[in-house]
Amino acid sequence: MAKDQQPPAGGGRGGAPQQPPVDPKYNWPSTPKTVVGTRVKRLDGPDKVSGRAKYTFDVKRPGMLYGRAVRSPYPRARVLSIDFSDAEKVPGFKASLVVRDPADPKTNVVLFQGDEIAAVAADTEEHAIDAARAVKVQFEPLPAVISVDSAIAGRAPEGVFPNGNVRAGNAQEVGDLAAGFQAAAHTLEQTYSTHVITHVCMEAHGTVCEWEGDKLTAWVSTQGVNSARDNFASGLGIPQANVRVICQYMGGGFGSKLQLGPEGLICAKLAKQAWVPVKLTLDRKEEHLVTGNRPSAAAKIKVGVGADGKITALDAESWGTGGAGANSGFPLPYIYHSTPTDTRRRVHKDVYINTGLQRPMRAPGHPQGSFITEIMMDELADLVKMDPVEFRIKNLPPEGPAAMWASYLREGAQEFGWSKRHPTGDSTAGSIKTGMGVAICTWGGSGRGPSPAHCEIASDGSVTMRLGTQDIGTGQRTLVAMVTADALGLQPSQITPQIGDTQYGVSAGSGGSTTAASTSPGIRIAALKALEALMDKVAPALGVTADALVASGGSIQVKDTPSKRLSWADACKRIGPQPITADAEWQPGMSSVNTSGVQFAEAKVDIKTGIVRVTRVLAYQDCGLVLNQLTAESQVYGGVIGSLNFALYEDRILDRRTGQMVNPNMEWYLLAGMSDIPHIDVRLKNMPERGVVGVGEPPTVPTAAAIALAVRNAIGATVRSLPLTPAKILETLSQKA
Amino acid sequence: MPKRKDEPGFSRRSFLKTVGASSVAAGVLGKAPAVDAQGANVVGPGPVPIALNVNGRTVRLEIEPRVTLLDALRMRADLTGNKRGCDRGACGACTMIVDGRTVYACSTLAIEVQGKAIRTVEGLSAANAPLHPVQQAFCDKDALMCGFCTPGFIMASVGLLEKHPNPTPEQIKKGLDGNICRCGTFSRVFEAVSSVKGGRRG
Repeated sequence: MAKDQQPPAGGGRGGAPQQPPVDPKYNWPSTPKTVVGTRVKRLDGPDKVSGRAKYTFDVKRPGMLYGRAVRSPYPRARVLSIDFSDAEKVPGFKASLVVRDPADPKTNVVLFQGDEIAAVAADTEEHAIDAARAVKVQFEPLPAVISVDSAIAGRAPEGVFPNGNVRAGNAQEVGDLAAGFQAAAHTLEQTYSTHVITHVCMEAHGTVCEWEGDKLTAWVSTQGVNSARDNFASGLGIPQANVRVICQYMGGGFGSKLQLGPEGLICAKLAKQAWVPVKLTLDRKEEHLVTGNRPSAAAKIKVGVGADGKITALDAESWGTGGAGANSGFPLPYIYHSTPTDTRRRVHKDVYINTGLQRPMRAPGHPQGSFITEIMMDELADLVKMDPVEFRIKNLPPEGPAAMWASYLREGAQEFGWSKRHPTGDSTAGSIKTGMGVAICTWGGSGRGPSPAHCEIASDGSVTMRLGTQDIGTGQRTLVAMVTADALGLQPSQITPQIGDTQYGVSAGSGGSTTAASTSPGIRIAALKALEALMDKVAPALGVTADALVASGGSIQVKDTPSKRLSWADACKRIGPQPITADAEWQPGMSSVNTSGVQFAEAKVDIKTGIVRVTRVLAYQDCGLVLNQLTAESQVYGGVIGSLNFALYEDRILDRRTGQMVNPNMEWYLLAGMSDIPHIDVRLKNMPERGVVGVGEPPTVPTAAAIALAVRNAIGATVRSLPLTPAKILETLSQKA
Repeated sequence: MPKRKDEPGFSRRSFLKTVGASSVAAGVLGKAPAVDAQGANVVGPGPVPIALNVNGRTVRLEIEPRVTLLDALRMRADLTGNKRGCDRGACGACTMIVDGRTVYACSTLAIEVQGKAIRTVEGLSAANAPLHPVQQAFCDKDALMCGFCTPGFIMASVGLLEKHPNPTPEQIKKGLDGNICRCGTFSRVFEAVSSVKGGRRG
């Protein structure tokens, strides 16, 4: 198992320290309750489908101005001067800000296209754009590193990055490599690679900032209201207590909104200067350039396999780019290991080029590691003439609750009709070739503390669950209500979840598929503690002690005599003017870590045009205790479709001469539409005994590899890099012929 | 002419071929209030008064002629339901229905749709009233995640179903090909739209 990649805490596959289990009375019940595990529609669905849900992009404050950044057109340049005189003449101009002081040699060099230089604010968005265009910036263009291949080959300009263009990590070596290769019956040497893609959140990164004295209120499209507050406080040099961040609805982040970008601080500074609220949202081009990307990955691999189909050794040199100074690590080999001993060597090189910096993107590193490893696996399976499913099973780590690939591979192969798969190359007549592929995935998704939750039950029967988490589209708001309702014997619609605001408490950012696993334990325990207090109040009326009571079906009743009961409303009337309150934090034992998934894909390839159509995907995925069957399935559908985009369509294309992105939009940066979507079957494997594990990221890992292998199986030739464009497929076919 | 999304053979990709040219034409040919039939079609660049018929109500605004229908309604009329994803007619988050046809409101000038019946997502159901069957189906099938593209998908679906009350799977796919969702709700959007086939559509 490769552990050289460090995804966000709690994110990537890894073990959480062993801790004592939670008090059994608070743990998830052994038998499913009425709400958890069922299909519950999103509580905020009606607000979203009616347009009433207010995203940061929709927030309008009295007197609000619109901000706009002035950005570098060059991949690298020194800013010599910034002249606002024409901008100030634009109608509606209100404020300007220098981000890069031309006089400061430490910061006056921009490192990528889109790097911030200055900013303006005006009364309308149109005027802000006019004013930004009118800012005159004098540049001294500087040599830039644009091509990864040139940088690796030592042909790129030097002196661009302080420690050189290529930073090689330490070699990691386990086992006796020479002995491993000696034991091999076949050796494969190949190079595989994946490309850079961008997050393309439908709602652009953006902020509305409003000052009242020295206190800042900021509406931010963010994956973490509390981390955004921290970023504002440290970036502006003000106490965290002076910052309130609100994000009730946000239009997608996928990792790119875990931290506040420079635009957030620019917006706050413009608002302070203009002394009125300012909104600064990025346009689509800026989104592509500056709000993060998934690093590229490549690996030159030598791998040995025994006649028995077991990998004996793997030697890899890998590299990738995360832009102007960011890393590009990914797990390799992905999940599979060599036997009898884990024998492998790896050196990874981060290549720096003058583009925007990478940010975590849905399962950071895993889709790249998966593609590179899985294509290699099918090439090896062909060498030893084994079925790819059987070959995979031979090279897996031992099976266990968090490592279920072998079972899912067998079961899925049966369901998918894998036995009908032909050997590599569809030999039927005609230009449309069909093939099948399979790939596997893993992810951590553990829970972590403290993740506090606060529960209130009022005398009118209303229940509020309050915590500083946020809903990034996963359905977290609905989970908060579901877990609370389940504990109290109520329905989710009877609960008021309060989230998405730093005033509701402290909670971690939604990254690494950790939100459900981190917050659900505290929510359940807080609800149960509040219920205990309520039972103390109602026990005398029912003539029993509190421990004889249960909450079920909207009433508080005596365990063995359900006819002795008080309705929830009547029970709560005994609360008095002050609501019952209870607080709790995450406890170990109610969440777990590590998931397994397997995906099968079927694709048709027209060998005359090179066009790929994915026809079917079957996804097996576990995530411990399934909280909401409906929205958990949606996560898997979404992951599969995201990975399909990675495999076939999206690609950040740079002009090799200017270093500028040539497709910073949504028409030439291709994304799947409705007609491109295959039939997808989702099989969620519920493991209630494991507690909650996150599911947002793993399903987006293996689809791309499964599709690429389906294409390989169809056309009888191997495309070893993504995306699988028609041109690349035709080129591969012509090399084969 | 506004950019129609539902012309025969229309797709996001074929649309691209025409958007550049027709945007320019729209700016020049669009009817403006100050235009005399015999005179030069020059308005702006400063604000001009316009009146729009939005969801059955008249919205009067003073806007520069360059302002799009989407930005006029979102930033000047507090109708923020429809969203801006790409701002150039590729993602469909801005989809509105104008005179019965779906249009990309980000690539339609507000000034050129005066006198036309404009419908936004807010017009489908009043607050506290039952949702439109398409909206309800999206909720029932979990055909939304972050929800940002959802209003555009809903308007495209309503436009499709008003034209083809019982669409074939192929018609549903073609009808929604002008919309992009990044969370990956397509499978469930397809289910949702299929489920309202033949139903009442208000």
